[in-house]
Amino acid sequence: MAAAVQTETVAITINDIELHVPKGELIVESVKRLGLEIPIFCYHPRMKPVGMCRMCLVEVGFKQPDGSVRKMPKPQAGCTLPASEGMVVYTDTEMVHRDRKGVLEFLLINHPLDCPICDRGGECPLQNNTLAYGPSTSRFLEVKRHLPKAYPLSEYVTLDLERCIQCGRCVRFTEEISGDSQLAFRFRGASMQPSTFQLTDFESRFSGNVIEICPVGALTSSKYRFRARPWDLETRPGLCTLTPCGTNVFYDYRSGRLVRINGRTNEDVNEEWTSDTTKFGHDALYNNPNRIQVPHVREGEAFRAVEWSEAYAAVLGACEGKRTAVLAGTMLSNEDYYAWQALARTALATNHLDLRWQKTLLPASQMLKARTGLPGVQYGIADLENALAILVFGTNLAADQPMSYLRTRKAWFRNGARVVVAHHEASEAESFAHVVLRYRPGTAAELAAGLANLLAPELADATRIATPEWTEAQTGVPADRLREAAEALRGTEFAAITTHGLFDEANGVTAYQTLALLTSHAGGKFNGLVNHANEQGGREMGFAPDLGPGGEAVTAGMNTAEILQAAAKGEIDTLILVGCDPIRDFPDTALATQALENVANLVLVDSAQTEACAYASAILPMALPAERDGTYTSSERRVQRMERILKAPGESKAPWQIAMELGLRAGSSAPYFHARDVMDAIAEQVPAYAGARYQDIPETGVRLANPEGLTRSNDAVVQALQSLLGGR
Amino acid sequence: MAEYKLLLEHSHEPEFRTLHGYLARGGYAALNRAKGMERQAIIDEVKTSGLRGRGGAGFPTWIKWNGIEKEKTRPHYLICNADEGEPGTFKDKQLMETTPFLVIEGMTIAALATQADAGYIYIRGEFVDAAKSLRAAIDEAYAHGYLGQNILGTGLNFDLYIHMGAGSYECGEESALMSSLMGERGMPRLKFPHAPLPTVAGVWDQPTIINNVETYAAAVPILAKGGEWYVTLGANTKNSRGTKIFSVSAHVNKPGNYEIEFGTPLMELLDLAGGMKGGALKACVPGGSSVPMLNAEDCQNAILAYEELWETGSMVGSGGCMFLNEHTCIVSYTWRTAQFYAMESCGKCTPCREGTKWMLQILERILRGNGQPGDMDLLMEITKQIDGRSFCGLGDAAAWPVAGAIKKFPEEFEYFIKNGRSMVDTPEARAMAPRWAQRAFSAV
Ligand SMILES: Cc1cc2nc3c(=O)[nH]c(=O)nc-3n(C[C@H](O)[C@H](O)[C@H](O)COP(=O)(O)O)c2cc1C
Ligand code: SF4
Ligand code: SF4
Ligand code: SF4
Ligand code: FES
Repeated sequence: MAAAVQTETVAITINDIELHVPKGELIVESVKRLGLEIPIFCYHPRMKPVGMCRMCLVEVGFKQPDGSVRKMPKPQAGCTLPASEGMVVYTDTEMVHRDRKGVLEFLLINHPLDCPICDRGGECPLQNNTLAYGPSTSRFLEVKRHLPKAYPLSEYVTLDLERCIQCGRCVRFTEEISGDSQLAFRFRGASMQPSTFQLTDFESRFSGNVIEICPVGALTSSKYRFRARPWDLETRPGLCTLTPCGTNVFYDYRSGRLVRINGRTNEDVNEEWTSDTTKFGHDALYNNPNRIQVPHVREGEAFRAVEWSEAYAAVLGACEGKRTAVLAGTMLSNEDYYAWQALARTALATNHLDLRWQKTLLPASQMLKARTGLPGVQYGIADLENALAILVFGTNLAADQPMSYLRTRKAWFRNGARVVVAHHEASEAESFAHVVLRYRPGTAAELAAGLANLLAPELADATRIATPEWTEAQTGVPADRLREAAEALRGTEFAAITTHGLFDEANGVTAYQTLALLTSHAGGKFNGLVNHANEQGGREMGFAPDLGPGGEAVTAGMNTAEILQAAAKGEIDTLILVGCDPIRDFPDTALATQALENVANLVLVDSAQTEACAYASAILPMALPAERDGTYTSSERRVQRMERILKAPGESKAPWQIAMELGLRAGSSAPYFHARDVMDAIAEQVPAYAGARYQDIPETGVRLANPEGLTRSNDAVVQALQSLLGGR
Repeated sequence: MAEYKLLLEHSHEPEFRTLHGYLARGGYAALNRAKGMERQAIIDEVKTSGLRGRGGAGFPTWIKWNGIEKEKTRPHYLICNADEGEPGTFKDKQLMETTPFLVIEGMTIAALATQADAGYIYIRGEFVDAAKSLRAAIDEAYAHGYLGQNILGTGLNFDLYIHMGAGSYECGEESALMSSLMGERGMPRLKFPHAPLPTVAGVWDQPTIINNVETYAAAVPILAKGGEWYVTLGANTKNSRGTKIFSVSAHVNKPGNYEIEFGTPLMELLDLAGGMKGGALKACVPGGSSVPMLNAEDCQNAILAYEELWETGSMVGSGGCMFLNEHTCIVSYTWRTAQFYAMESCGKCTPCREGTKWMLQILERILRGNGQPGDMDLLMEITKQIDGRSFCGLGDAAAWPVAGAIKKFPEEFEYFIKNGRSMVDTPEARAMAPRWAQRAFSAV
C-alpha cells in the first residue's frame, strides 16, 4: 500500500542559517526546523495552502552563481512557497515586520474586538498575532462594518460574521476534508463572507471541526457559546466512546462539569478531526440531568437508596442458583468487560452474556475466522491513506466509521486513490467514488460473488455462474460498471472495508465472508469493522456467549436475542443490564419490553435513568468512561487508554469495580485496586494483549497485530455461495 | 507619426467580418505560411518580432509559447483573454466585433505552434456584440475547414469555444479567469514560484497559454509579413515593437481606438483624438485606470512605449488612455477610481479586500468635507501596504492610481482636506462629482 517517499532535498538559507529540507516543502514548515515561526491565519497544515491572509509574508531571494543573493522585489507568502535549491528566506527584516503590522492593521480595522465576551478570547490567534506583531494603535477613523453576530449555520454552529477574517479555512475544510462542500464564500471584496449555499442549514457529519480551525471567534459552538472563558477551563486528554474509531479528544471541563470536546491529534487515528457525534454527543451523556447518584433497591412501587453492601447482597441474592443472564452496552472499557464476563462465568455461573445489539448475531462457528481463517481487521485507519484503491462495501462509511471515511476521502483527494463504493443506498462516499455499485437491497452476496468472479481466479469456479451479466440481472448493477470496478481494484493491494452492519442484510454474512475471501485472493486487505464504541474490545475480552477471553471456545450460552426471548417467556430469573437498555438498544422494542416485564429480577448498572428503570429491582450507579480509568479497543483494534478526567457523580463506580466487588463477595474474584490490575489479568488471559501493561500503553495507543500463520480456507464460503447461487 | 493601421486596417469594412471578405483582404495568408513552417520556427518568428503581451503586463509572447512542452504528452489549451474590464480600455471589443477572423487566425497560429487541442475565448459578459460577431465567424471557420479537424490539411485539430464572463473585473486576471472558466469562484490561483507556470499546469492542470485578444491578433501580421518586418515598427524605442491600439477617452473631441506605432509621442495620440475638449489638458492616465496618472507637464515628453512610459512614471498597461481636462477634480476622480477597485476586489486577500475599502472610505470622507490632517500620509501608507503585498495584480492596480494622484497633485488633496472643498471649483467639476459631494463645490 505504501506510496513512494520523496527524499530529494534542497539547500536553502533562512535568516543566514543554511539547512537542507525536502524539495518543495513549504517555507512556513521549513522555518520550524530552526525553531522559528512565521505567523499565519489561513494556512493549515492539513489543507492546501491558499495564501489568502498574507500574514506570513517573508522576504525571499535566490543565490546567484557568483554567491550573491538576488532578492525578489515583492515579499512572498511563506505558506505557499515551496523550498527550492538556493532559496534564501528572511523572516526577521524590517520589511517583514512592517508587512505583518500592515496585514494586522487591515484585519483589525473592521474587527469588532469584542474579546471580553468572545469564546476565542484567550486562545485567539488574532489576539496573539496582534500582541506579537501588530500595531498598538488604530488609524481607522471610519465606521466599522456591521454584520450579523449570531447567525445560526446549524444546530451546532453559530457564525459571528463581524469576527470573520475571511481566511477560508472553514470553506476549505468542507471542500477538502469533510467533502460535503457545505460552505462557500458569498459576495466579494470587503463584503465577502462564508456562508452555506442559499443559506440552507450547514449539514455535515463533521461540522464541529470548523469551530476549532477558525482562527478567530467567528465560528462558535452553539452549545458552548458564552459558557466559559478558555482560561477558566481545565483540559485533559481523552477518547471518544461514542464512535468505534477511537477518536482522540480533549475533554474541557469547568468545576467538574464537561463543557466541550475538542479534537486531539493522533496521526494514526483521527489526525485532528472529530465527527459531530464525537464533538457534540458527549454533552448529553455526561450532563444528563438524570444521573444516578447512589444504589437503589426496589421496595414495592418505590426505590430505596441503599448502601453499596446492601445493594450487592440484594444482587447476589437474586442470582444465587437462578437462571441469570448479563447484557452490556458497547461503551464499557476492556477492564469492565473482562471483569463482568469473569463474574458471569464464575459467581453467576452463566454463559448467557452478550454485548451485541444488532439483528443478526453470529455464533462463533459462523464467524469469519472460523470459516475462512482470515482475521476481520487487517489494516489500520492510517493505512487507508496510502491505498491505491479502496472498496467500500455495504456500509454508509461516513456514518458508521467516520474516521475511516475521512481517510478514504483523503486517499482519494490527496493521492487520487480509486474508490469503489458498493451499497444499496446513497451515501457520502459516492461523491468521490471512481465507480458506484448501487445494488438492489438484499443482493450484496450476489454482488460479492460477481466481484469474486472477476477478481479472484481461485474463486472463479465457485462463482462460475456469477458473470457480470448474471450479476447485473440479480443486483441491478450494470455489468460494465462491475467490470470497471474490478479494473479499478485489480493488482493494487486494495483495501476492502465493510462493517458488521452488513450482517443484517439478506445473505449479508455470505456477502461479508465472500468479500473477505475475494479480497484475500485478489491481494487486497480486508477490514470488517464493528460499528459500536468498544464492541471490539468487549468481544476480545470474551464478553460473548460462546467465546471466552481471547476467543477461546466455551460452552455456548444464549446471545442477546435469545436471552430476551427467554426472558420474555419467563425463562430467565435474573437479568443484569450493564450500561444498556434493551428497549432503546435492541431493534425489536416489543420483545425487549416483554423481556423486561417478565424477568423476576432486573438489575441495572447504569449512569442515568432509562426506560428500563421501570422494571428494575436494583439500580447500581455506574461511572461513565471519562469518570474512571480504562482502556478501549477501537474498531481498527487500537488499544488506547483514558485516564479519569471528571469526577463521577455521587457514589458511582466503574463497572469493573462493581463486578469485582460482587465477585469478592461471592468468593470468585481476586481483588483489583485499579484498572491496571484488571489489565494485568487481561494480559495473562487474552493472547493478543499478552504482555500489555496499562501504564505502558503509549499515548497514541497500540494497534494489535493478528497472529501469524493463519491458514486460509475457501470451503465454508464456497459452500455457502454454492447454495446461494445454485438456488437461483 | 500618424496612425499605423495594422490590425484596424479593415475594421471599418463590414465584409471583413465574413470569411469571404477576410480572405479577399489577405486573410489566412499568415496561417498558410505558418503551416509550412516547423512549430519552433513559428515561435521563433514571434520571438524575432519582439511581440509583448497587450493585456497589460507586456510579457514577451514567445516565452509563453515556447514554454509549452514540445513532446506532447497531454492536452494543451489556449485561452484568449477577452474580459477587457479595465476602465478606459475598449480595444478588444472593437477587434472582436469588427475583425473576428484576426483573433481566430491568430489563435489558430498559436495552436499550431503549441499543439493546442482547444481554445477558449473568455469574453466579458457585457460584450454581447463581440460574442455574436465571433460566434458567426467561428461557425464560418468551422464550415470551411479553418477550425475543427485537420485544419487546412495541417493535421491540427483545434476547437474554439466562447465562454461569457459573469461580470467580474477580476476574472480578467489570468489565473482567476481560469478558475472562472473551470466553474469555480473567480479568484486568482497561486502563481510561480508558488505553483507551476500556466504553460506547465494551467487550466485543468494542463499546459495552457493565455494571451490577450490584441496579442493573438498581432500574431497574424507577424506571421504574414515576418518578424523581421514587424520589428521595424517601433524600432526607435527601447524594447517595444509593432503597433498598439490605444483606446482614447474622457475629455477629447474624438474618443475612440487609435492604432499607433510604438514610440509615438503621447501628445500625437491626443491630436489623433481631436485634441482636448472643454478645457486645457490637466492630466492623463495613459494605460487604463490602474496606471499612475501623468500631469500635463509629463505628458509633453511622454512617449508611448513600455520602458519609455515607465520612465515617465506611468505604464502602457492595456492602452486605455484617458485625457483629463482642467475641470477635473483629481480628488473626485481618485475616489471614483478607488470605488471601482474596491467593488471589484474579489476578497481573497487581506490587503486588497480591506485596503481598497478603507481607501475608498477615506476618500469619501474627504469628499464629504471631513478630511483630517493625516489623511494623505495615511492614504500613501495604505497604498504601500497593498502594493506588492496582495495576492494578485488587482491590489497593485488599486494602489497605484491613488498613490499616483497624490504624488502628482498633492496640492489638490491638501486643499480639499484643509478647506473641505475642491480646489477645482467650476461648474464642470461640480457636474462630474457625485451627488452627495456637491457641497464641496460652489453652486452655479
Ligand atoms: C486585475 C487584473 C485584471 C486583468 N484584466 C485583463 C483583461 O481584462 N484582459 C487582458 O487581456 N488581461 C487582463 N489582465 C492581465 C492578464 O492577467 C494577463 O497578464 C494577460 O491576459 C496576458 O496576456 P498577454 O500576455 O497577451 O498580455 C488583468 C490582470 C489583472 C491583475
Ligand atoms: S476573535 Fe474574539 S478574541 Fe479574537 S480578537 Fe476577535 S473578538 Fe477578540
Ligand atoms: S469563519 Fe473563521 S474559518 Fe471561516 S473564513 Fe471566517 S475566519 Fe476563516
Ligand atoms: S488582490 Fe487579493 S482581493 Fe484583490 S482581487 Fe487579487 S486576490 Fe482578490
Ligand atoms: S498564512 Fe500565508 S497567506 Fe495566510
